[in-house]
Amino acid sequence: MSTPVPGSFRDPASRVVLDGDKVTRLLDKRGVEGWRALSRTEFFRKAVADGRLIESVEVDPPDGSAGALIHPRLDLITYPYEWTFSMLRDAALLQLDLLEEALSAGLTIKDATPYNIQFVDGRPRFIDIGSFETYRKGEPWIGYRQFTRQFLFPLMLRAWVGVPFQPWLRGDLEGLTPAQMSKLLAGRKRFNTSALLHVRAQARMESRMGDRAVRKDLSEAGFNADLILANVRKLRNLVGSLSWEEGEQGWSTYGECSHVARDRTAKSEFLETALKRFAPRRVVDLGANDGHFSRIAAANGALAIAIDSYEPVLDEVYRTSAGTSLAVALTDLANPSPSQGWASQERASLMERARPDLILAFGVIHHLIYGASIPPGEVVRWLSTFGCPVVLEFVSPSDEMVSKLVGNKLPHELHPGGEESEFRAILDKLFVTSDEHVLSSATRVLFALEPR
Amino acid sequence: MIFGYLDPGSGSLILQAVIGGLTGIGVAYKAYRAKRGLGKVDPGSEQDGDEEKAGDAALPAES
Repeated sequence: MSTPVPGSFRDPASRVVLDGDKVTRLLDKRGVEGWRALSRTEFFRKAVADGRLIESVEVDPPDGSAGALIHPRLDLITYPYEWTFSMLRDAALLQLDLLEEALSAGLTIKDATPYNIQFVDGRPRFIDIGSFETYRKGEPWIGYRQFTRQFLFPLMLRAWVGVPFQPWLRGDLEGLTPAQMSKLLAGRKRFNTSALLHVRAQARMESRMGDRAVRKDLSEAGFNADLILANVRKLRNLVGSLSWEEGEQGWSTYGECSHVARDRTAKSEFLETALKRFAPRRVVDLGANDGHFSRIAAANGALAIAIDSYEPVLDEVYRTSAGTSLAVALTDLANPSPSQGWASQERASLMERARPDLILAFGVIHHLIYGASIPPGEVVRWLSTFGCPVVLEFVSPSDEMVSKLVGNKLPHELHPGGEESEFRAILDKLFVTSDEHVLSSATRVLFALEPR
Repeated sequence: MIFGYLDPGSGSLILQAVIGGLTGIGVAYKAYRAKRGLGKVDPGSEQDGDEEKAGDAALPAES
């Protein structure tokens, strides 16, 4: 039974349907023309071979389609509002590189959205083969505005304004408008040449031109592919120059904390034992921090999905994950990415996409309980909804870290259920304990749990 | 004209010619004048072949 992929309805020339693990792209006549032109090029063969473009095999189309392609199913789909700065920048550079190579081969890419790029084995891969089409003389780059809204402005927002782009991309799936970006730029950056052109001039031109049709006028005025190439090369230099470094140390030195270093060996051994027992194919590491335990899961053959809300440390995990089965997703566990977009289905929730066989929750649930004020029973109930084994670390209220998290709250202002005996009773209702280990501090206990 | 599913933004289309460099500024100027109803810089361009149009674009903009 084939079902349309909810996020693939906007382009009438190319739609994706899913049948089990089989991913089929259905093309109309124009989509087939684009595919045939692309598949004949040397750049396509090379880009597939080096992993920058998804593999595609043409098959007989079903009734109602002019053509069909089969793609391998990706292990995990993530969205740009779950990416770190380096991920969005790498994706932007891939988009520009492929456009330049396509133009040199007489093709173009008709859109420019990060949703067409996914991360496979720690590297970006372009997945929307239907975006390629033959370049027609005189046509401008249709995707330029989209590139600025969904790639360039979010990167500028972080690099130049110091504001995270993820909440904005999650709030508006189309990204930042030139007018919005223009208002957000402050100080000397407003007069940067790139800001003047891509941000302020674009905002002004949008305001002046409105919805007037200009493609024919541009074509007649002599627009050509060299102008797109010049723009793409300038954009590549600009994107490559954008950088961001978090000033504060925060969690980036987490691995050096005394309690972390002290417990790391014991926790690693406990996890190795659990991985052997449950043999999961997909491990979701909640509060992954520097990715130490995700790497152990990946080294044991699983797809490890490292989830954390702190971007500096997750960005470092991404930058050291190339060639491994470690994926990263930036999200706040107290407010993870929801289902949203058209009909609230276009972009699935992160946990729907993660599909864990095992949940790993080391050093995290006390942050939900004492930091985000989520009752312990609610945290355990949420973990049970995945229907898979859970390996978690319980942290007692007397632990030094909990004291810091509790801060000025008085004991009666905390949710009940935090004491070890109470927490065990909560666990026993929903899980069977397969294994447990008390860490040396005696304030922390590791549990390997199976759902009842 | 090819139908696209994406709104490219009229102002953004003109602007990308400007970003393309000196040649593009001429192209943008011609297209902008045409769209604002200020008359074509090259009145015969609608009947011209593609090669001639591309050549025209290399001329400096005139007011």
